[in-house]
Amino acid sequence: MKNRILALAAVFAVAACGAAEEPQAPAGPAKLTVWIMDGSVTEDLLKTFETTYEGAHQGVDLDIQIQAWDGIGERVTAALASTDAPDVIEVGNTQVAQYAASGGVTDLTAKVADLKGEDWLPGLAQPGNIDGKQYGVPWYAANRVVVYNKDLFAAAGIKEPPKTRDEWLNITAKLNKGGNQGIYLTGQTWYALAGFIWDEGGDLAVQENGKWKGALDTPQALAGMDFYKRLQALGKGPKDADEANPPQHEVFAHGKVAQIIAVPGVAARVLEVDAKLKDKMGFFPIPGKTADKPGTVFTGGSDLIIPVASKHQDEAYELVKALAGEQFQTDLAKAMSFVPNRTSLSGVLSGDEGTAAMAEGAAVGRATPNTPNWAAVEATSVIKQYMTAVLTGADPATEAKKVSETITTTLNSGS
Amino acid sequence: MKRLTLNAAAVVVLVTTIFPVYWMFLTAFKPTGDIQSATPAFWPAHPTLEHFVTAVNAPGFWTYWRNSLVVTVAAVLIALVTALLAAFAVARMRWRGRGAFVIAVFAAQMAPWEALLVPVFIIARDTELLDSLAMLTGVYFMITLPFTIVTLRGFLAAIPPELEEAAQVDGCGRLAAFRRVVFPLLAPGLMATSLFGFITAWNEFAFVNVLIIKDQDKRTLPVWLSSFRDVFGTDWGATMAAASLFALPALLLFLFLQRRVGTGMTAGAVKG
Amino acid sequence: MRTRSGSIWPYLLIAPTVAGGAFLLLYPLLKATVISFQHFRMGELIRGGAAFAGLDNYAELLSGTEFWQVLWRTAGWTAINVVLIVVLSTGVALMLVRLGRGLRLALMSALALAWAMPIIAATTVFQWLFQSELGVVNWLLVTLGFDSFRGYTWFANGTATFAVLVILVVWQSVPFAALTLYAGLTTIPAELYESARIDGGNGWQVFWKITVPMLRQLFALVASLEVIWVAKCFPQIWVLSQGGPDGATTTLPVYAFKIARVLHRYDLGSAVAMLTVVILAVALVSNLRRMVRQ
Repeated sequence: MKNRILALAAVFAVAACGAAEEPQAPAGPAKLTVWIMDGSVTEDLLKTFETTYEGAHQGVDLDIQIQAWDGIGERVTAALASTDAPDVIEVGNTQVAQYAASGGVTDLTAKVADLKGEDWLPGLAQPGNIDGKQYGVPWYAANRVVVYNKDLFAAAGIKEPPKTRDEWLNITAKLNKGGNQGIYLTGQTWYALAGFIWDEGGDLAVQENGKWKGALDTPQALAGMDFYKRLQALGKGPKDADEANPPQHEVFAHGKVAQIIAVPGVAARVLEVDAKLKDKMGFFPIPGKTADKPGTVFTGGSDLIIPVASKHQDEAYELVKALAGEQFQTDLAKAMSFVPNRTSLSGVLSGDEGTAAMAEGAAVGRATPNTPNWAAVEATSVIKQYMTAVLTGADPATEAKKVSETITTTLNSGS
Repeated sequence: MKRLTLNAAAVVVLVTTIFPVYWMFLTAFKPTGDIQSATPAFWPAHPTLEHFVTAVNAPGFWTYWRNSLVVTVAAVLIALVTALLAAFAVARMRWRGRGAFVIAVFAAQMAPWEALLVPVFIIARDTELLDSLAMLTGVYFMITLPFTIVTLRGFLAAIPPELEEAAQVDGCGRLAAFRRVVFPLLAPGLMATSLFGFITAWNEFAFVNVLIIKDQDKRTLPVWLSSFRDVFGTDWGATMAAASLFALPALLLFLFLQRRVGTGMTAGAVKG
Repeated sequence: MRTRSGSIWPYLLIAPTVAGGAFLLLYPLLKATVISFQHFRMGELIRGGAAFAGLDNYAELLSGTEFWQVLWRTAGWTAINVVLIVVLSTGVALMLVRLGRGLRLALMSALALAWAMPIIAATTVFQWLFQSELGVVNWLLVTLGFDSFRGYTWFANGTATFAVLVILVVWQSVPFAALTLYAGLTTIPAELYESARIDGGNGWQVFWKITVPMLRQLFALVASLEVIWVAKCFPQIWVLSQGGPDGATTTLPVYAFKIARVLHRYDLGSAVAMLTVVILAVALVSNLRRMVRQ
């Protein structure tokens, strides 16, 4: 019954826009094409899921394709614009809004209850929601924590992870001695900056009278940047690069870096470089301004969407339901150290130090400004370039004003 | 003394030219832990093949490899044949509209291909040519064609028409005269231009991204080259190993053609 | 031998080129032109039904200041790169002619290697070489005694980023130009040089009196190809700096990419592309004229 409503809704959506080809009921077994991003799910887990799912759903043949991050925006756009699109696509939570706004994504508002959407993580659900309609289905989240080197902490006589920002600066200064770096924070780790700004009560951009406005020049945002600068100075992170260049886990693996800000899953990558660091890595949530609450963090993660141009709307929805359902969410969280899409499932994370620290932070997680054009702000790296300018000595107020104006222009460029 | 200065300068140029390439190969052979280090290591202390193994074992490697080869070779060959016909018409015949044709061909090199991505996508979608290697081949053919015509035309013009005439007098047909006399002289030019076309088409990735959507098995190597990046950043060792493997065909082709390439390219232009 | 005008043969011979060009180049180009006069964004691409917008896109471009800034920057970018490429590759070509066989082969192979290196790999390697903390360039400069380069942040400063990009593009472009010019040099008869020297010309005079006139065509061809390639150069800039910092490396193609494929304003992006083509055509008009005269 529900499927029929969905099909109707899909037909409606298509009729309303005209151009795209009408999805037809296919004859024979439905071959469902699924796009999953590289690094989202382990191969084993995908295989298990595929076998189980195909066993339970006769007549469905899953074709799971792993997508590289490079150029994914164009591929998804092209897919949505094609006449025979993949049936389910994973998209980053900062990207989903622009696709949802384009009219190429199936509206799943009527399905939210069926998907148990009442306790979805807001950082995933909000970006998938445009004008009150739910297009993106939350899939998984991850947020950054502080990963630290236990040996270096012990050597500096630090027994307790810091609880407040001031403590954090203190211990980091202590660690930043004798050839060791207190923290390796690259100059362009913009989501860490976002967290500091949110803690101060500021934001990256705000909406006023239906218009977006870059907000990096507010006193709160400037205070966040100032803290970032003080923290960044306690190590040798390059001021003009982000954490991928060079990959920070490789730098951390050399054992001379006391802390990095990263998702807990990075621990596995550190061990790939140097297995000797096993059991030497600790995790704590990013400290907040006061001890009663950890620092606000940027919730990264993914949503699932069904393109209007998919020819198997019903089967695609069934698949989304399975991928967003309790069983798969539990498996995924355990295998990948991710936060599941619903807060009521976060219990599965207990028992692991890294994911526990992450879950603590996730409770105060936030998403980037909910506008289709945010993806463009990210893609043009303007925030990163602003950070580099301030860290290399430019006047923060002037630079902040400039970048805020750029963000304002970008966000209000109509679509 | 003069000789010494010259040789010293040559060595400096040589080192500058080759260093980034060397760094690519070097990185490909370094264990991940050694890639980023405070004092640069100019020699792999612990050479490893693990990155090459990762690269070759990446899903779809052999399929992408085959696709790239098929598309590139097909595009280059079709462009060569088409260009040869057109170049012959331009270099050897007088006809109305010849000037306009030459201008059009030269201007075609300025085609803003990046901006044509969306129109080409729309055309492919409306003619049901998405997910087809044929469309991709067509695009690469068109990207390389103008350059091929320009170079071949010059090269053809450099071969004295009298040679063909003499052959025709000796009883050859015009086609036979072309095949027996002109074609052998043209071979270096054909090779030079084909190398250029090969490198261009081999490197292209923007069009693969939008023209090949659902049919993963039709992607080409540049896509694979970018697949060593995930949520934690990039596996640079594997990327560089992949890039080394990726550069290999063009390199082999060049070394194979080395003698002829330079002469082909210039003879074309100098005497044009 | 020359075919009489009126024969059908030449038209048959160019038919495949014309047919291919019509479907794969002219048709998309026309579509792009149409798009530049429409309201055509992500929604229109996906749903269809773009509305006619007249000259709105062109008006938006030409009335803003950014387009003109980008235009001048692109002109400067192209001029600097092309001059460096032509000068350096001429130098390398002249050097190749004078070198002994072994060193010449080595240098030619090195040039080939540089030419064949994938653009993305080359760009990544340059990014590493210029890293502030672990980069080889800073390490080398500090070792040579330039202590101010310890931890120097190349990508924080517009001019420095611009310079790094110029080095990268020149490095990538010199091989093709140098090998072509070298091959051209080898076609100049040795007697010409000998007689010039007998007449008492020094190296510099010989170069300007013999080499340059002999290779005029080739220089023109190499220079105009490099103008086209450098002006259209995109992936290097995008990977290294995304047109930053503060727009210092935003050239026309980067600008068009930002508009079309980041903001999904395909309409405005097409307008930029159309203007780029017109500007390039005007810049190379003398070359085009010569092609007709031949």
